[in-house]
Amino acid sequence: MSKESKKGMTRRTFIKTAGAAAVAAGTFGFPAIVRSAPTELNVSGWGGTWSQIMKASVYPAFEKEHNCVIKTDTAFPFAPKLLASPKSKPFYDVMHANSNDQWKVAVAGFIEESYDPKKVPHIVDLHPFATSDKIAGIAAFTSAIGLGYRTDKTDCTFESWKDLWDKKFAGVRGTYVITNSLGTCAFMMAGKVFGKGLEDTEAAFKAMEALKPVKMVDFTGTMEKQLFSGEVIVGVIHDSAIWRHLEKNAPLAFSVPKEGVLALEQVWSVTKGSQKKELGYAFINHMLSPEIQKIAVEGMWYNPANKNVQLEQKFKEHLFTTAEQVKQLVQVDWKWYNANEDILTMKYNKIFQAR
Amino acid sequence: MLSPGLLLFACFFVLPLGVMSVLSLLSGNPVNDPNVSFTLKNYLKLTEDIFYVEVLWVTLKIGFYTAVFSLLVGFPLAFQMARTRSKTIRTMMLMAVLSPMLVGIVVRTYAWMTILSDQGVINATLKNWGWLTRPLHLMYNEFGICLSLVHILTPFLVLTLTGVIGRIDLSLEEAARNLGAGKARTFFEVTLPLSMPGIMGGSLLVFALAISAYVTPILMGGFSVITLPILIYQQISGVFNFGFGAALGLILLLVSLVVVYLYHRAMRRFARGVGV
Amino acid sequence: MKTRGWDIIVFRGVNIALIGFLLLPIVVVILFAFNSAEFIVFPPEGFSLRWFHKFFTDPDFMGSFFRSLKLAFLTVIVSTGVGTMAAIAIVRGKIPGARFLSALFLSPLMLPAILTGLALFQFYVIIEAGRTFWGLLIGHIVVTIPYVIRTSTTVLYNFDISIEEAAMNLGAGPWDTFRHVTLPLIRPGVIAGSIFAFIVSFDQFPVSLFLVNPGENTLPIHLFNYLKYSFDPTVAAASTVSIAMSITVVLVLEFTVGLQEYVRL
Repeated sequence: MSKESKKGMTRRTFIKTAGAAAVAAGTFGFPAIVRSAPTELNVSGWGGTWSQIMKASVYPAFEKEHNCVIKTDTAFPFAPKLLASPKSKPFYDVMHANSNDQWKVAVAGFIEESYDPKKVPHIVDLHPFATSDKIAGIAAFTSAIGLGYRTDKTDCTFESWKDLWDKKFAGVRGTYVITNSLGTCAFMMAGKVFGKGLEDTEAAFKAMEALKPVKMVDFTGTMEKQLFSGEVIVGVIHDSAIWRHLEKNAPLAFSVPKEGVLALEQVWSVTKGSQKKELGYAFINHMLSPEIQKIAVEGMWYNPANKNVQLEQKFKEHLFTTAEQVKQLVQVDWKWYNANEDILTMKYNKIFQAR
Repeated sequence: MLSPGLLLFACFFVLPLGVMSVLSLLSGNPVNDPNVSFTLKNYLKLTEDIFYVEVLWVTLKIGFYTAVFSLLVGFPLAFQMARTRSKTIRTMMLMAVLSPMLVGIVVRTYAWMTILSDQGVINATLKNWGWLTRPLHLMYNEFGICLSLVHILTPFLVLTLTGVIGRIDLSLEEAARNLGAGKARTFFEVTLPLSMPGIMGGSLLVFALAISAYVTPILMGGFSVITLPILIYQQISGVFNFGFGAALGLILLLVSLVVVYLYHRAMRRFARGVGV
Repeated sequence: MKTRGWDIIVFRGVNIALIGFLLLPIVVVILFAFNSAEFIVFPPEGFSLRWFHKFFTDPDFMGSFFRSLKLAFLTVIVSTGVGTMAAIAIVRGKIPGARFLSALFLSPLMLPAILTGLALFQFYVIIEAGRTFWGLLIGHIVVTIPYVIRTSTTVLYNFDISIEEAAMNLGAGPWDTFRHVTLPLIRPGVIAGSIFAFIVSFDQFPVSLFLVNPGENTLPIHLFNYLKYSFDPTVAAASTVSIAMSITVVLVLEFTVGLQEYVRL
């Protein structure tokens, strides 16, 4: 009897205290509980140095201000994963990729192609290339694709793209497979230099045939390695990859040929099916702010999209920052290229297949 | 007790193959495209251009050469490992065989690039000794790919073969010698046939891995050699034609299974002919 | 007597050359791991431990390293268990065309792993499983089980079944026979298979690409990303650590279990 009453007492006491606690939580704690569950923002992004910069200097302030956690997928390729997920539940909320991949997912209807200045205020401070009709999304940075070369192994300063085809560089020049955007850019530039324009694929294929023998690589890391080791004397490469090694005093230089350099844009977009679009817009805006742009430019030697970034002299010396300089950047019509990629890739493969 | 294991494996095995087969027969991706239908167009695409057949042929050729050379390199090593009486030698050989496998495929391929490339170790040394004026092209061709693949895959073959050779009943070899057979004859008529399961198992493993390899052909072939996995990768991450990529993969698989079947038949006849 | 000595010398010589071939890239990698130069250049210059320091103090490198290790261990356990049972079922189950079946089960290896990765990714999307560690584990198991089956069936085919029959005739039940007779005898094949499973999982790249949880990369992915921006020898240091790890395991196995077990009866 006494045991039961004791139990009963304990149970009643428990219910009382529990009830009191619940009320207390409701008045004081509840908003805190709600606020303390951070939202997850799924983004894609490069790994290596870029992700280190993001985690150290770019994400923390944003995550704190918006009470969110940014989950970055650095396992490239990104576009297939987005395309394999349902539009209503996209794999990413915000996708960061090069322009070619953004167009692929744009054409498939996954991302928003243009943005409202009310949602992304910094959009008005950008150079024209960032929101041109060649971009699906917003380009926050760009690199310039030109020619990198060993100053100690050649006197040529590559004033023109045609110098790459010079016989004396046979077998010691490098380019990429056409499935790499630099490879595509080099291919299309050949069409412009030897033919009627970027989309003159006939002239471009003839030029590719004439480029043999040439060393082909899959990504810029390998090209950098080949330039450093002397495996190639000249290679198609973007400015960021060359200037990054400035401190090493290596005998490397980057040339801006007279026919122009191609833009390799870093583009951000919000997916149409995302449940966190407002957060996505805020994130992109954060990327476009002058302070964050400065951090990324100094860490990666990218060219900034925001006109108002304050940079030190050594960056201004080499990068495209003024309105005049930015005009030298040629943007590729990736939408057109993607539509023809299948056939073009096969023809390109055939030309370089060793026989 | 045995069937659950087989059943479980069947699930793991069937799952990706099933998904891929379905994808290859659809006109689009069912996750996003409600009007998807069954079609053979992904397979018919293969007949559109002889290029695809050439790529398939190159892939199988590389697989074949890699298997043969892995066997030539791996058999002596496996034989010694199985037969040596010295514990130290066996342990050291095991370490030597296992280490390449743990370097990691990307790093190891970069190491080979450092050795074989035009400015690499071999060419630089030969040039220093005055033996060469122009570099030997050891990379960016089928030779470089096969060499690197043999290096990566031989350990698999050695480890498979060692167990089998180690199992061979030595008294059978002794019996042959007692009956007057020389060392060579004993080897070819007793040891070799008895190692056959290991030889077949090992070389098939190497063949399978060589034809599905992606990283090595890209880094060592420099895209002047296009293999089927490279094409498949282009289809998935470049052009996003999953259906076609899946179809290419299944064709590779089917052709390889045919090759494997013929190999089995041929080997069985050989083993039988020698009276095992 | 003279000829006997001569051909053994040739044989040993050939083997030493072959081992040299196997070890050449390893030597190169280890050389560069200790090299002070910032990029991979030959001949090497200077000695330095800075790349190892970089490797051990970088949270991403360490995180991905241990993640890959954990994944590999779990993969080995499941693959070996399921694979061995499946192998026995294939060889003993009196299934018609069993030999061919065992070759058929090599199929996951013949299929480029990127397709396996994509297929599983797509499947997980359809069943809304999300991106979990278990999803990644299953992916690794799928590509490693074939190795275990391959090596186990190879040893099973050479297996003298009369030993089992003798044990049963002497009164041992099927389970006891399996534990005390069969299992020890097929151990070499099982061990070889599990070594492969471990290595393949630790080094696995394409399947992981599709199945990793964003932000939780495995070591190969991290190395690959790293190589995009720098080709300094930190990756060589990572590889040297992996090699040192495997050598330690081999030595430990040798002094405890004894690798004699592995190769002979």
